[in-house]
Amino acid sequence: MGKIKRLNFSLLENLLKDVEKPGRYINNEVGTKSKYPEIDGSASDLVFMAIVFPDIYEIAMSNLGLQILYDIVNKHKYFSAERVFAPWVDFEKKLKENGIKIFSLENRIFLDCFDLIGFSVQHEFLYSNILNILDLGGINIRSEQRKGKFPLVCAGGPAVANPQPLSKFMDFMVIGDGEETVISILEKVRIYRDDNKQKGWFLKEISKLDGIYVPGFYKFYYFPDGRIKKIDPANRIKKATFKEFDKSSIVNDPVVPNIKTVHDRFVAEIMRGCARGCRFCQAGVIYRPVRSRKAKSLVDQIAAGIKNTGYDEISFLSLSSSDYKHIEYLLNRVTCCPGLEGLSISMPSIRLDGLRPKMVDLIKSGRKTGLTFAPEAGSQRMRDIINKNIKEDEMLDCIKMAFSKGWEKVKLYFMIGLPFEADEDIDQIITLIKKITVVARSSFTGNKPSRIKINISINAFCPKPFTPFQWVNQDDADSLDRKFKYILKNVPRRHVNISWTDPGKAVVECALSRGNQRVGEVIEGAWKRGARFDNWTDFFKSYIWEEEFDKAGLNINFFTTRGFSEQEILPWDVVDIGISKEFLQKEYDKSKRCSGNQNKI
Amino acid sequence: MISQKDAPGTKIRFKFYKKDEYKYLSHLDITRMIIRALKRAGLGVKRTLGYNPKPRINFSLPTPLGIESLAEYSDVLLDGVIDADRFKKRINLQLKPQTQVTQAKKTAVETVNLMNDIAISLYNFELKLYSSDERQAERFCSEIKENLKAESDFSSSIFDLKIIRDLENANIFFLKLFGYAKIFKQGGNEFFKLNDFNRFFKDWLKDYNIGIVSVRKEELFVIRENMLKTPMEVS
Repeated sequence: MGKIKRLNFSLLENLLKDVEKPGRYINNEVGTKSKYPEIDGSASDLVFMAIVFPDIYEIAMSNLGLQILYDIVNKHKYFSAERVFAPWVDFEKKLKENGIKIFSLENRIFLDCFDLIGFSVQHEFLYSNILNILDLGGINIRSEQRKGKFPLVCAGGPAVANPQPLSKFMDFMVIGDGEETVISILEKVRIYRDDNKQKGWFLKEISKLDGIYVPGFYKFYYFPDGRIKKIDPANRIKKATFKEFDKSSIVNDPVVPNIKTVHDRFVAEIMRGCARGCRFCQAGVIYRPVRSRKAKSLVDQIAAGIKNTGYDEISFLSLSSSDYKHIEYLLNRVTCCPGLEGLSISMPSIRLDGLRPKMVDLIKSGRKTGLTFAPEAGSQRMRDIINKNIKEDEMLDCIKMAFSKGWEKVKLYFMIGLPFEADEDIDQIITLIKKITVVARSSFTGNKPSRIKINISINAFCPKPFTPFQWVNQDDADSLDRKFKYILKNVPRRHVNISWTDPGKAVVECALSRGNQRVGEVIEGAWKRGARFDNWTDFFKSYIWEEEFDKAGLNINFFTTRGFSEQEILPWDVVDIGISKEFLQKEYDKSKRCSGNQNKI
Repeated sequence: MISQKDAPGTKIRFKFYKKDEYKYLSHLDITRMIIRALKRAGLGVKRTLGYNPKPRINFSLPTPLGIESLAEYSDVLLDGVIDADRFKKRINLQLKPQTQVTQAKKTAVETVNLMNDIAISLYNFELKLYSSDERQAERFCSEIKENLKAESDFSSSIFDLKIIRDLENANIFFLKLFGYAKIFKQGGNEFFKLNDFNRFFKDWLKDYNIGIVSVRKEELFVIRENMLKTPMEVS
């Protein structure tokens, strides 16, 4: 690492004046572990990594992946990781006005002084923030124009499973689990720096690791209509898989945020991967295989974690927590463990058929947290198409159980615009909501039935890479809008709240997630026109994105409403996600067969 | 069976500061931080009974964001019997240097709510005179009492003020301002609002060529038998 430049505290204080939530930009949380960059005034020989989560503090600090990587890197003798998050617009303005580059939280090291910058990309709407952060760091956004040896810039996370849209900006990308890969990369960075190797040598070396995609090593040839003709070389990047997950420990001394975050609680990842085969779900594919931690050791680690952090809430994290084999044992042990009294328990992603009475009692023993379920579709036919194996009776039983045990509200997720969707399927969503409301009312045991709340969230389906629906055409924005308005008009008003995401957003999400290398230009153009925080409705402007697709000579519909042919070379074919294309095709064929099942509507 | 209500408990009143980075944390953030530190220290806090049990801990009035404070107070009801010194040691180990408990003492379990009891907040303004004109300094010292305390919009929210000149640097002054933190039934007084005052004061000082270097909350007072007492002096 060259000379380390840091922002001093009095300059930070200047920036913090009249800024919303200044606590976002200060350090000294409990659990920070990065090492000090200087020994007796001169730079130490540590390798410094900036872990960048391109969203604001409150969201970044709620992400488990960030905490895992931070923990692993900082436990290593020769490496130190510091956190960099997206500044909110007011702070960005201050940085620019004062000509100050973006810096890390811990030691306030300027971003361009790090050896390695790693972006954790959770969804497509963070792409514009990534470019913004590089720019605020005084770093050229395009990989080919970064001539210096440092900083190296990479990205990982679910939204780079298809690495192409960001490929222009990254020196390399990490596909799959980061636990082992991050250390392997940093070891190579250390040699690259200490032995003064060439950048080409470094990229070649890391490309030998599982999960590393170096965009510069691949060339794409296109047909005149925009489809890919050939990818050269044809070899594919094998996803990195953390095989030791079962034996590995959870992070039991995470950084405890100073300010309130979105998920301000201790997290125990009990299982990674999901054994269900919902055909729309990308996470279910990219986090394979299913791995689970032992309940017994989890209990000890959780007890230690609660002691280290002082949290009063815990979340059992996985893609489908009720599928965890020893869930009742775990809940039982955690709720009776000394030192863990009064702990609130939250379980994200419980399946509607997975809630058991015992579980309800245990979760209820602490402060009551909300229950969230995802029926996804209203009709049995549609649930068969998407392979969401859950029956209406099971759902209603579960709702009945929750409300009879004193719950007052549930949140339900539905999707519209699914493949082979007919108007009858939309009607069935309305019917199901009605039935759920009736069951909730009749089984409710509290005094005030007026407090019953059924929160419905409706999302537009977005076909994602590596799923059996990756070839499917997305429903167009007008049709999505019409379907949503129909639901809104016909759903019972009493007890029901409906929220819905703008279809324009779903269209852009789809185009970015199924995008090819050329979409990089679109991202760059949109960012230059001010796009950032695109996941925030107040900031997202679909016209900017649509216009930028045009400007880049691309038709947005090419990536969205066009059905992809099964013979076509797809932009993400460069990645071997661990599941064959044939398997995905078979699953897609199965869904086509289910679509004929009219009697099941 | 002994219910939670009857089990022995210890009520501790403690004073702590927040400075440096932590002055940018809100009152609620600091509250959460203290509660978590108690938990890490293994100091069990008694909880309220009912639907959503909450820890039985109270804090003094919030200090505005960005203002250093040497006088944050809290009353906490702990499980079991614990000595105040041990309490202080144990919680300080779990807090960063930017927030530390400076005093702690046992109080009666049934004490007045801190929030309602605090009557006066004492702020220290460090002021700098940007001129060598001694007359300007003198004019400032004499006019501040009359103009600020007697005639400004803030007269009914200021209980008292004092000006102290730094012994080593004649250009530095300390304004000790006692602002009302409570409305008195008979008094016709108003709450002292620091942020509003700061804005006004900055402007007001321009006339004397004086700027504000820093503002700090220094102490809180309750009133007992017509006397100002710190919360640590009463129970």
